[in-house]
Amino acid sequence: MDRARQTCASLPMVIHGVELSIGSAHGWNPAYLEMLDAFQAMWPFVWHSEHLGFQTIPGGDGASLEVGVPLPVPPTKEAADLIGGRAAAICRRYQPPFLLENPAYYISDLPCDREIGDDIGLINAIMDRSGCFLLLDLHNVFCNSLNHRIDPLAVIDRAPLDRVVEIHVAGGASRDGFWMDGHNSRVPEPVWELLEYTLSRAPRVGGVVFEMLDDFAVALGAKAIGEELRRAGEIWHRCRAS
Amino acid sequence: MALLDYQTALGRLVRAPDGTDPLRSLRLDEAERSSIEGLQANAGYRFTVGVQRSWCVGRAERAGYLTLSILPEDLRRRLLDDWTEAGGGTSSFFAAEAEAFLDFIAGRLPHPSHELTACRFEQATLRANQQAIGFTPPGPDRLQAPRCALRRGRHAGLVAFHGEPHAIIEALTQHQALPPVSAAATAILFAPGLEGLWRVASSREAALWEKLTMPVRFTSLARDGYRRDDIAAMLRIGFVEFVTPIGDRA
Repeated sequence: MDRARQTCASLPMVIHGVELSIGSAHGWNPAYLEMLDAFQAMWPFVWHSEHLGFQTIPGGDGASLEVGVPLPVPPTKEAADLIGGRAAAICRRYQPPFLLENPAYYISDLPCDREIGDDIGLINAIMDRSGCFLLLDLHNVFCNSLNHRIDPLAVIDRAPLDRVVEIHVAGGASRDGFWMDGHNSRVPEPVWELLEYTLSRAPRVGGVVFEMLDDFAVALGAKAIGEELRRAGEIWHRCRAS
Repeated sequence: MALLDYQTALGRLVRAPDGTDPLRSLRLDEAERSSIEGLQANAGYRFTVGVQRSWCVGRAERAGYLTLSILPEDLRRRLLDDWTEAGGGTSSFFAAEAEAFLDFIAGRLPHPSHELTACRFEQATLRANQQAIGFTPPGPDRLQAPRCALRRGRHAGLVAFHGEPHAIIEALTQHQALPPVSAAATAILFAPGLEGLWRVASSREAALWEKLTMPVRFTSLARDGYRRDDIAAMLRIGFVEFVTPIGDRA
């Protein structure tokens, strides 16, 4: 923590969590919230976010079993009620805005309720129930559009753009017939186009993050990372100016 | 289909695609059962299983980085496969994953061997390091209490090195050739309050570590010749710690 403060104490802090398991029907992870409480006391954050997914299931003797990877929540009313209630509780617990991130998913034909429809329908239903905000991961939109043959612009148009506070861009890789959200390459050209499209329509966005795995950062190198950040900055300024 | 039942079925299928009866004890009608079973033919499901497996292997590789780096590739691959097949690698909490995975590896390495030493060295270092930041030694006053008992420090350890310890550690960390395995062992003590986390243990410290596999009253240790000052020094570095007797707990 001391090292982090030396490096970036003067910058605004935002939190991005992966362990809350907000969509697990058998229970979420209260230890994560306790950790967040402690962190907020040490270093207040501007906003905080989590992934929309589930990664724990019931194990033996009432224990929780970790799946090992976040899995998509089916777009059903039960899921919207469950996650909406939890997101609302988080909004009450912390002053700074709480954001949920749209996931990349590979399994098609998830069970769904007609009134919710799909993953974007689920996000809209959760936002309506909780008042939380959206972390729009454009690489996840891109992955889903390739893997499930859907129009990414139509997805963005249906998303609650007035509630987008943070945007992620990243790269991935093609594997076994799927485009994988691997955070292991430069940002594909179509994702930059999605950023330009979204930024000009989402008035509340406070920041854009280029995500990559730490292993890959070394391979990519500072020059290429700088180029990606510069490009994100140029799009930001162009869209904000217009 | 109830959300809990769907998630339980999907989670089980992703964790163990070849597991027995992943739908046991779930409230599913025939159509729901058939829909879940049909997942196994879904290319996206199979891809998800592959992603899950690669995440689990990645976690285990980070958890046992040093030890895995000195093992032959076929053994390394087999240990990772066995670990993930057994459901390992799913915990995102690094300390828990490292503790469990290194225990798993240790049970499959020859004794004595430098590989086993590396494994225990890595585990003891991680364990001590986890507590090193913010470690506060207890006051020694409790040693005077009549029922005062002690146990091994939960973030401490004692590791046997079969050769000159500094030479072995240098070879391990610099990826150099390891010296021959010696029959005689040197005990290295790890503790969170120790500068640098480790040093060579004295024979008295090693003997105390063996004695404290179960909590022992200080009066008993004193009868065995352990002086108050020696125990206080071990408390200060977290090599041993106090046990609160059950009857004294709130």
